[in-house]
Formats: sequence, structure tokens, C-alpha cells
Amino acid sequence: MQKKKSIILFVLLFALVLSGCTGAVAWPGLSTSGDVAYLAHTSTVYAVDLKTHNLLWSFSGEKAGFTLFNTNPDMFIVPPVTTTDGLVVIANANNRHMLYAVDPKNFSAIDKAPTPAVRWKFNQAKGLWIAPPLEIDGLLFAPNSDGKIYVLDLNDGMPEKQAVRTIEVSQPGKNESRLWAQPITDGERLFITSLDKAVAAVDLSTYEVLWRVDLNGAVPGGVVLGGDGALYAGSLAKKLERFDPLTGAHQTALETKGWIWGTPVADGDNLYFADVDGYVYSYNTAEQRLNWEPVRPDASITASPLVVGDQILIATESGGIYSISADGKVSLWFQGKEKSKAYTTPVFAEGLTLVAYLDSDYYLVALDQNGKAVWTFSGK
Amino acid sequence: MKNPSNPTQAQRPELPQVNPRETLKTLAVIAVLVLAFMNFNSVIDLLVNILILIYQFVGHNFGIAIILLTALIRLATWPLNAQQMKGAKAMQDLQTDKEWMAIQKKYAKDREKLAQEQMRIYRERGINVFGSCLPMLIQFPILFALIPAITYAIGSYPLSILKLSKSLAAFGLQDVAALIPLNSKFLGIDMGLPERTLIFGVSVPILALIVGLTTFIQTKLTMPPANPNDQSAATGKMMGYYMPIMLFMFSINYASGLSVYFVISNVLSIVQYAMMGKVNWRNLLPGGKKT
Repeated sequence: MQKKKSIILFVLLFALVLSGCTGAVAWPGLSTSGDVAYLAHTSTVYAVDLKTHNLLWSFSGEKAGFTLFNTNPDMFIVPPVTTTDGLVVIANANNRHMLYAVDPKNFSAIDKAPTPAVRWKFNQAKGLWIAPPLEIDGLLFAPNSDGKIYVLDLNDGMPEKQAVRTIEVSQPGKNESRLWAQPITDGERLFITSLDKAVAAVDLSTYEVLWRVDLNGAVPGGVVLGGDGALYAGSLAKKLERFDPLTGAHQTALETKGWIWGTPVADGDNLYFADVDGYVYSYNTAEQRLNWEPVRPDASITASPLVVGDQILIATESGGIYSISADGKVSLWFQGKEKSKAYTTPVFAEGLTLVAYLDSDYYLVALDQNGKAVWTFSGK
Repeated sequence: MKNPSNPTQAQRPELPQVNPRETLKTLAVIAVLVLAFMNFNSVIDLLVNILILIYQFVGHNFGIAIILLTALIRLATWPLNAQQMKGAKAMQDLQTDKEWMAIQKKYAKDREKLAQEQMRIYRERGINVFGSCLPMLIQFPILFALIPAITYAIGSYPLSILKLSKSLAAFGLQDVAALIPLNSKFLGIDMGLPERTLIFGVSVPILALIVGLTTFIQTKLTMPPANPNDQSAATGKMMGYYMPIMLFMFSINYASGLSVYFVISNVLSIVQYAMMGKVNWRNLLPGGKKT
């Protein structure tokens, strides 16, 4: 009997060690809507009241039946998206490929662990959900790692959604067209990037791919419309690329020192972005030149810059939040705990700058206008 | 020689002589284990680099790369596996040895004396007590490192790709940007996701079933002939049922690239046992356990 117990213990320990071997594979997703912050952190999505900094509710997916070893846990890393009908769309990035819409107002506040009600769900995608969806006129455009954009009708009242359209972005025969970034729209077209080294435009009236430009490097971040009317995207080929939104005519705007991961941010004629080698760039789209020589705060950068007033805030892998002035002067604004990592793009809401952390005691920190921590949130 | 006139010496239990060669081997294995766990990230980086090199060599086919890496690992650990098999067989043979059984009976109530006698027999027959478990232990860091290595190399998630780039940069072998995204498809299966095949509308985890089946077959085939008095055989028999179930459950939910590793590893293990003439084909037959 003792021997049997030892074997079972060994097997369970072995399974536990195997299950814990991979560690974190993605960073948290952060978004805000009104005075609520939504943080998708590992296995849970948290709704935090920005005024009281209390947890309103949390969502950890729906039970998926019996699992002996939970090696396929729920994984929430996509920034939740609030739709015009007031629901919060949450993507589960695990292997069940589930997209949920929860009612953020429908939860029991007296519960110990309040959970919002699920209004609808969608599970037709074949790949992982890494990108947040985009709502356009009552339709939700949800890009998936299977290379398709699933179009869902938000007004059909269906609790189990069916895609009204599926837009194939990948080229025929190409398997690796992973869509990892939120698309953008100019009202007539939808612009999307792909990890299979491409940027594409989709006609919103016909759902046909208008143009598709193949690049030399994968594009994990999204595109942005610059002040000059051109589209910009960074790639792992260490290039900032410029596109004509109508035709897709493309040229390299700038060569960078490292991979560009995050989506560039447009602010008037200026474009701010960073690279994985840790450099931050300020590019003038009107004059097609750098405003100042790239500056390097301290470590690798995957987040997009955040423009707050006249300063640019940037989160680095070392957990530092740096402030860069309009003329390119860098100063440490806030430093996270030792070994903490800030890969996620900070968000500004209700006068606070919110920073999501990985490998830290707290998941979220709210900073005032001087970079001082006002409160932290650790998932409780 | 004992001196009976010296009572102190006569009463002192005979200490087992240390075999310097075996001790050195054991210490070397322990040192490798400690180093591996202390530099676990380096082991991961090494495996990632080898995996990506093979991936490039075989024309960007991740499935083939995993198969070849598995074969490479089995080849590198071949002597260790052989020693493990040899050690296990020697320990197994002891269970039916007359002298061994005699001392078990004779010193059943004197554990200290029994231990001395056991050590004497080990020494006389050149058996390393750790011969069967140390080689297995040394493979653990490889297995534990292989899981993140495959996960990073497939790059299904953002942080995996960053870790992949850092792993490759650590060895300075190549610029990973040109490789991303890696072609993770093999025989129509995405190596980065758990495999499911629709059969008559039912989603069946075929690869996980193959993992469970090959693990079961491998355990059965490599199990020495059962002896009713042999407790280790009974333990092995139980493991023969638990391990396939555990690896099946594991494979259901994890990246199918890992399932490919388990299947190929099982097959190559059977091949190695067969080449050493230690496969018990009768174990596969119902009621065919007696040899």
C-alpha cells in the first residue's frame, strides 16, 4: 500500500514538474473603459475600480469539464475590449480558443469572488487568441492566430455566436499567418498586420483583401495612421515601414537597431516607437526624419510608448517606467520591484498611468503625474 | 585479516570497500545534475539552438526537427540508458539469486548485518547500487529543459518568441528574425497546439493516444520477467499502467510537438532494448509473462 502511494506521489510530482516547466509565455493585457481598468493576467481577468482601486469582479473562464492534470489552464493575456453595448469581450488564449462577452454590470457584489455573467461566446477559431478584436458599426472583427479575421454580429442576440464572415488574410498555401495585433480602420478599410511578414488592407464593404504587402520580417505589432495620412508598422526585420492606405504602395521609412515589437504611436506629425534592443525613436512623418537620436533607457522594450501631455512614457523589460521629454531627455519615472518586468503598454485613465507587471508582487500599479505609486493591485 | 585476539577488531562490523571507479562515476553524475539545474537556462538555450539548427537543416520542418532532436538525445544518452538497463537487470537478477535470498532470510532481523552482506554481494559482482537510477536522473534535466525549449522554439506566444531570440543570441548562432514565424505544421498538425482529429464528428486526440499506447508498449516490452517474490517488478508493473495514463493526459493538453517527442523517444527506447536483446515480446501477449 505504501509503495502504491509512493508511485502515485511520484507520478503526480512528475506531472507537476512537467506542467510547470514552461513558465510564463505571455505578458498581461491591460485596457480601461471609463473608470474601470481591465487586466488580463495569466489565468484571470480582473476589473478594478480606478476610483476606489477595489476589485469589482474577476473572470477565470468557464469550467471545461474534468481534467486530470490541468496542463491547459485558462490563459488571459489579450487586453479586454468594451463594446458599444456595454459588454466586455475577453479572449482566452489557451487551446480551447474561446472568446467571451461578459456583462460587467451583472455580477453579485456580495459574493466573495464576484463573477460577471457571460452573455455570449464564440469558439469557431482554430488558433490562439493573441490580438484584441475591434468593433466597427455593431460588428466585431476578431483576428486569430489561424490567419483569419472572424466577423461577429454583436446585435444578433445569439448566446453562441457564429461568424457572419470569415476573412482569410493569409495567402493560399501559407500556414503561418498569425494575426497578433488589433486591426485599425479608416472607416472604409480595415488594416491588419500578420506575423507571416505581411500587412494587409480589407475592404469593409466587400470583406475582400484589397492589398497585401509582404515584408522581410514578421509584424507582431499593429499599424498606425500617421499625421501624413500614411500607414506605419514596425517589423522584426528592424524596419519602420510606410504604406499608402489606398494602394499598399510601400517603402521603408527607417532602419532601426532592433526588432520593432509594439505598435508605433502617432501624435501629430510625430511617431513614437521602440525596439527590442531598448531604443526609443521619435520620427517626424512630415519631414521623414528622426527628431532626435534614438535613446536607450535601460532594457528591452516590447510595449508601445504612451504619450501623456508633453512627455513620452515607456515601459521596459527591467520593470522601469521612463519619461522622455519632447527633446529626447530620458529620466527614470518609476521603478518596479526587483525582477519585475513591464512588457505591456501602459494606459492612461482618470489622471493615472496604469502599468501592468509580470513577475512582480503586484500585477498593476497606478502612478500619479509625477510617477509616484498611488496604489497597487495584486489580484485580491 | 581479522585478528581474533583483538576483540575490538573482531566485533567491528566489516565496512564495505569503496569502489573508486563507481564512486567517481556517481559523483560525476551528481555534479552534472547539480550543474544542469544551476544553469537550467543554459540547458534550455542549448536545446533551443540545436532544435533551430536542425529545423533549418531539414528545410523548415518542425516535426522532423523534433524527431531528429529526440534521436540525437537518445543517441547522446545511449551509454547512460545502456548502463541503466544493465543496472536494472543486475538488480533484477539478484532477486532470484540463491545467495541473495539466503542472506535475506538469515539476517531478516539484523538490518545492519543484512546491509553489510548486501554491500558485499554488490561489490563482489561489480553492481553499482545507483547504476539503474542515476542514469535515469541525469536525463531529467534534459526532459525538463526540452519542454520549454520546444515551447519557445515553436513561438506560439509573444514571450516565447522573445525567449527564443534570447536563446539564439546567447549562442550567437543566427538571426532568428528571418525564421519567424516558424513553420510549426507537421503532417497537417500544428506542433504548437494539442492535436485533435475529427472522426465522425468526434474530436479524438490521436497523437495523445499514440503516446499512451507507445508508453504502455515500451514499459511492457522492457519489463523483466515477473517474479512473484520480486517487489521491484510489482512496482514496475504499476508504473507500466500509471505512466501511459499520465503521459496521455499530459499530451491531450500540451503542444503536440511534445507528443512527438514522447512517441519517438518510446520507439527508440524499444529499439535500444531490442538491440541489447532485452525486449520481452511475450509481455505483450495475454498470459505470456512467464518465460
